Formats: sequence, C-alpha cells, structure tokens
Amino acid sequence: MLINTVILFLRDALPIFVLVVYLYVHLPASKLWLLLCFLAGALLSLIYINQIHVIGQWFDGKGIELSLWLYQLFVYLLALVLAYGLKPSQHSNKIFLYSVAGLMVCLTLVSKGSNFILYFDGYLNQSNVLQSMLLGTFLGLGICLSLATLLYLAAQWLKQQLGPWATWSLILVYVTGQLVNALPLLAQVDLIDASATAWSSQNFVKNEFELGHLFNVLFGYQAAPSITQVFVYVLALLIPLVIFYWLKPNLASHSGNKL
Amino acid sequence: MNIIIGCALLFFGLFCHPLLAAVAEYQVQLKDHLFFPSQITIPANQKVKLVIANQDNTPEEFDSFSLNREKVIFANQTASIFIGPLKPGKYEFFGEYNPNTARGTVIVEHPKQEAPDAN
Repeated sequence: MLINTVILFLRDALPIFVLVVYLYVHLPASKLWLLLCFLAGALLSLIYINQIHVIGQWFDGKGIELSLWLYQLFVYLLALVLAYGLKPSQHSNKIFLYSVAGLMVCLTLVSKGSNFILYFDGYLNQSNVLQSMLLGTFLGLGICLSLATLLYLAAQWLKQQLGPWATWSLILVYVTGQLVNALPLLAQVDLIDASATAWSSQNFVKNEFELGHLFNVLFGYQAAPSITQVFVYVLALLIPLVIFYWLKPNLASHSGNKL
Repeated sequence: MNIIIGCALLFFGLFCHPLLAAVAEYQVQLKDHLFFPSQITIPANQKVKLVIANQDNTPEEFDSFSLNREKVIFANQTASIFIGPLKPGKYEFFGEYNPNTARGTVIVEHPKQEAPDAN
C-alpha cells in the first residue's frame, strides 16, 4: 500500500502541483487565491465523486471517460484564453486572468483529485493499511513538493530571462500533454481509433519508470504514442504557438510597447 | 466544399471508423483482488471488449501501460474497456490499488488455422 500510494501521488497529484506552480509563477498571486482554488476544486471533486455513478451511466456507459476528457479539453482552452493576458493592454484585467487560472486549477483538481477520493474512500477504513497509506501520503507529498519547488525556481528563472511568454509556453506544453494523455480515455470507450503506434521508445524511458511519470506530467511523454496522439499533440501545440507568434508584433504595435 | 468533405472523411477515417465494427467480448472477474482469468488470449489485429466484473467490496483501477488503458471499476460493479487491434505479444495489466495481487496478461496471437481434413 505504501508504494501504491506514492505512485498514485506521482500520477495524480504531481500534475496538480505542476499546474499550480506554473500558474503561480505566470500570475504571481496571493495565498488567498491559491486557498480559494483548492477549496473550490475540493468541493467540485466531492460533488463529482458523489455523482460519479450517475455520470458513469451517461452516453451508454461512456460518461466518466467523456467527462474526464472534456475537463482536459476545457483546461487546454482556458490556457489559450490565458494568453490574452500577455497582451500589454490587458495587464490591468487581473481578476479575469485569475478567474481563468482558478478554473484551470479547479478542473484539474476534479479530474485528478477524484482518483484520490476513490482510493482513500475505498481503503482507508481498512485498519491494516492505514499506517502504510499515511506513510505513503507523506512520502508522495514530499516528492511532489520537492519537484514543485525545483520547477518553481526553474520557471521563475525562465520568466526573468524570457518574460511571461516563457511561462505561458510551459503552461501550453503542460496542458497539451494532459490533453493527449486523455485521448486513450476516448479510445477505451471506442469513440476514436488510437491503436496504430507511431513509435516505441520503451527501451529508453518506460512509462512506468519514475522518469517516465515525470516526463508524462511535464510534457505528455508516452513511450509508445499512437498516431492519433502525435497528430493531436503537434496540432494542439503548434497552432496556438504560430497564431500567437504571428499576433505578437501586432499586439506590441497596438499597445505601443514591446512584448 | 470539397475541402470540407475531404476533412470530414479524413477525420472519420482517422478517429471514427472503429464505431462501425463489431467486436468480440471477453469476461474477466475481479475477486479478492485477483483477476480471473489472469491470462486472456485474444486474436491479433482485432479490437475486443473486456468486460470486467469487480466482485470485491472495494474499488479497483484496471491499469496497463502497454495497453495504454486505465479505468476505475467500482465495488460490485461491471465496466467495459475496448482494446486493440494489437500486434502479437504479451500485454500486462494490473489493479492500480492492489498491484501485488491483481495482475494479469493479455496474450495476443494469430488465430489458429484448422488442420486440413486428411480425408
């Protein structure tokens, strides 16, 4: 149970920590904002878990997969909205940007945090596993906090060197990875075909290795991605980058400032 | 107009053509944190449906890195997962909440051809 709990933290808690760190660097916010996001996300997770049996029956038993994929799609779209804040004239519109960032954290908490609630709800009442689960929780939290601290420092350095575009790019890479990670959910309920493998790097970094978990969270690494995943990844990453790169000089000229 | 039709056909071909195919079902039971059967043999290059019945009083998450699948199966509930088409080989799966005991393998092989009639 100890190892299971640690792995669960790496798979489901680390993405939350990474997103919060990136957003915190991108939009330096108060601790109250962070606390409110977590409270709202936790509340939404509880509501989602409470209704998960009902949601599971939707669309001929495909409701959970569809809802989890839609959460990731919304997070991705919200990340694109966040780029609106890079426009210098919109810097003053902080409430809007913080709301977008808060919604991103909430949706990620629901999609990832619900797995925790299921796990702890199912096994916490078994007294023989309580000790190892608590130990695993502390270890998992410790690993996540250490990685989050390192990422925070790296993201801060990048922002100082390259400006807010750098942190927004980190967020875009992260949300694209999460969107692509969610595609197998649609394949497992037979909504899309994602069986043809593009390549296999299992001999270098396996998905189940710690490094595989970390790369998966940071940029959606898959040892054997499907062609559909590669197709979606490239489009989801490149189209916004090209559009915003093209818009960048226009935005700068409109505002009279250099981005 | 032709571009729109072309894009629609490309989208359908890439993502949606499996919707039309019929698939074989394979039943798996989860009891006392063990999969029964723990080895499932399926034909190569065909999509199949795994129907997993969790008979335990705790939830379990069906997980497989090689199959790229993960699905929570609630206590005393049944869930379905589509896998494949797959190349011949062995694909391991496990229960994420009990990975030491709940383990199994999907064996993918070419369908055996019947021996020709000697008479």
